[in-house]
Amino acid sequence: MRVLSTLRFTLLRLMRNYIVLLLLLAVPIALLTVFSVILSGMVDEAGRPYFDQTALTMVLAFQLFGGSTVMSYLNEDLFARNRERMTVAPFNRTLYAFSILLAGSAFSFLLGAAIMAYTRLVLGLVWANWGWTLYLIALMAVLSSIVCVIFVCGVKSFSTAERLSEVYGVGFVLLAGLFFPMPQHAVFEFMGSYGNPLTLSVGAVRAVEIGNWNEAWFQANIVLAAIGFLFPVMLVMGRRRLR
Amino acid sequence: MTLASMQSVLKRYGSCAALDYIDLEIHEGEIVGLLGPNGAGKTTLIQALTGILPVDQGRISLFGDSRNPFSDANKQKLGLVTQEIAVFEELTAKEGLEFFAGIYGLRREEKKKRVAEALEFVGLSAYANKVPHKFSGGMKRRLNIACALTHRPRLLIMDEPTVGIDPQSRNHILESVQKLREQGTTILYTTHYMEEVQEIASRVVILDQGQVVKEGTVQQLIETVRHEETIIFDVADPLGIPLRQVESIAGVRQVSVSGSRITVISAAGAGNLDRILSVVQQHSGVLGIQADKPNLEDVFLTLTGKQLRDREGSR
Repeated sequence: MRVLSTLRFTLLRLMRNYIVLLLLLAVPIALLTVFSVILSGMVDEAGRPYFDQTALTMVLAFQLFGGSTVMSYLNEDLFARNRERMTVAPFNRTLYAFSILLAGSAFSFLLGAAIMAYTRLVLGLVWANWGWTLYLIALMAVLSSIVCVIFVCGVKSFSTAERLSEVYGVGFVLLAGLFFPMPQHAVFEFMGSYGNPLTLSVGAVRAVEIGNWNEAWFQANIVLAAIGFLFPVMLVMGRRRLR
Repeated sequence: MTLASMQSVLKRYGSCAALDYIDLEIHEGEIVGLLGPNGAGKTTLIQALTGILPVDQGRISLFGDSRNPFSDANKQKLGLVTQEIAVFEELTAKEGLEFFAGIYGLRREEKKKRVAEALEFVGLSAYANKVPHKFSGGMKRRLNIACALTHRPRLLIMDEPTVGIDPQSRNHILESVQKLREQGTTILYTTHYMEEVQEIASRVVILDQGQVVKEGTVQQLIETVRHEETIIFDVADPLGIPLRQVESIAGVRQVSVSGSRITVISAAGAGNLDRILSVVQQHSGVLGIQADKPNLEDVFLTLTGKQLRDREGSR
């Protein structure tokens, strides 16, 4: 009950964190608007508009960075500035950390949904399956938050954890071949097919677009399995750090 | 009744003992002033007493409970004003206090009432709906105090609550501490400003190098050095003064230099001012002489051989 009362304030803090809003909402919206102009009328070999693919990838790619706010709040409240006050308070800090994880993931998901809504309402993009795409955004948001909690609990220095989270986000964007094509190598191909949450999520949405639900579930379930595997790792590391 | 106690508490960092077999008791209704220079172990003591820092040896008891002193029931009665300002920058003053009231289990109506009281108490009612990043340092410090008050703790621990603030906010904080005591709150107040302790503390504990050097009321502590007098010389060339020669004068207990000041502690009534002055004058021009009645600073100097804080940093 005591932890429940903090949820409202965590969400308020997230909503008033203008840097987060700038990086996870304003920047993608600005980029998508620019791309919608540049890629207007261009189609790929299959006849699909380039912008549709770009918008899908960008909406999902920004979810890779959603966990950074969870990491930052956990550090501030439980390991840095507010640590002493929180330690002295009669409430369950593990549950509180979990509530930050939930609020942060939900917030990241809402930003993703807002970007989707913007592309539909302003840029006129037609999403093949809203529900499925939102499900994948949710998976990506939760995965990113869990990974960031592992970083912040796993290393002593917060700046190292921040760098690791950037490596996680930028690394998977790079491996997805968004900046430049990856070399044709078994390792990169394996990562693209089974180890990169971004390519898996994009693949799952595309599979639904062509009606291949088996492939879509397969790819989405790999992301879900990653969450399932990393969740207990996060619990162990979190409990160890909060002890 | 004893609200908090430490018995032979040891806390080491490597080979350095931050708390060196400390014994301390805090009784209900007191304001205990914990006095010590930077690095004396004040913050470590507070962290040990509140369960933030595990200790290596010894026994800690809170509210008579030494088996599980940091239980939620005991934490409910404890308030901590941290040395570092720990407020939420994105939340208004009121929302920040509501957050802390919530984690102490206060329900809606009670929460509202206590938050309003706490804001009123620290003089921030007019700023209830403002976010702290627009506050001055002193206002942030006051809000930091209010965060520890919404649940009305029986024992309030304040870790250097007046560091780096303007005199007006400092006076407000000291008045608030007095008011809290009148309302029945027991307070452990740490500082390295002896004027504050002299003003508010009902008992003083002097800490140095992780040890309790002396404790008692301000008056009792001053009594211990009443047989001494402090003579302060302002000199033109402090480095030219042969300190050993001054120390060798009969009755002189201690000589220290801080900036252009030479502080000499001498046996009261020894009548050796002339002798000391002649030695000082031989080696430097004397710009001023001052003989002080003993105060806590002198007590500290006598007990530890150190100034409580650098003169340059004094207010």
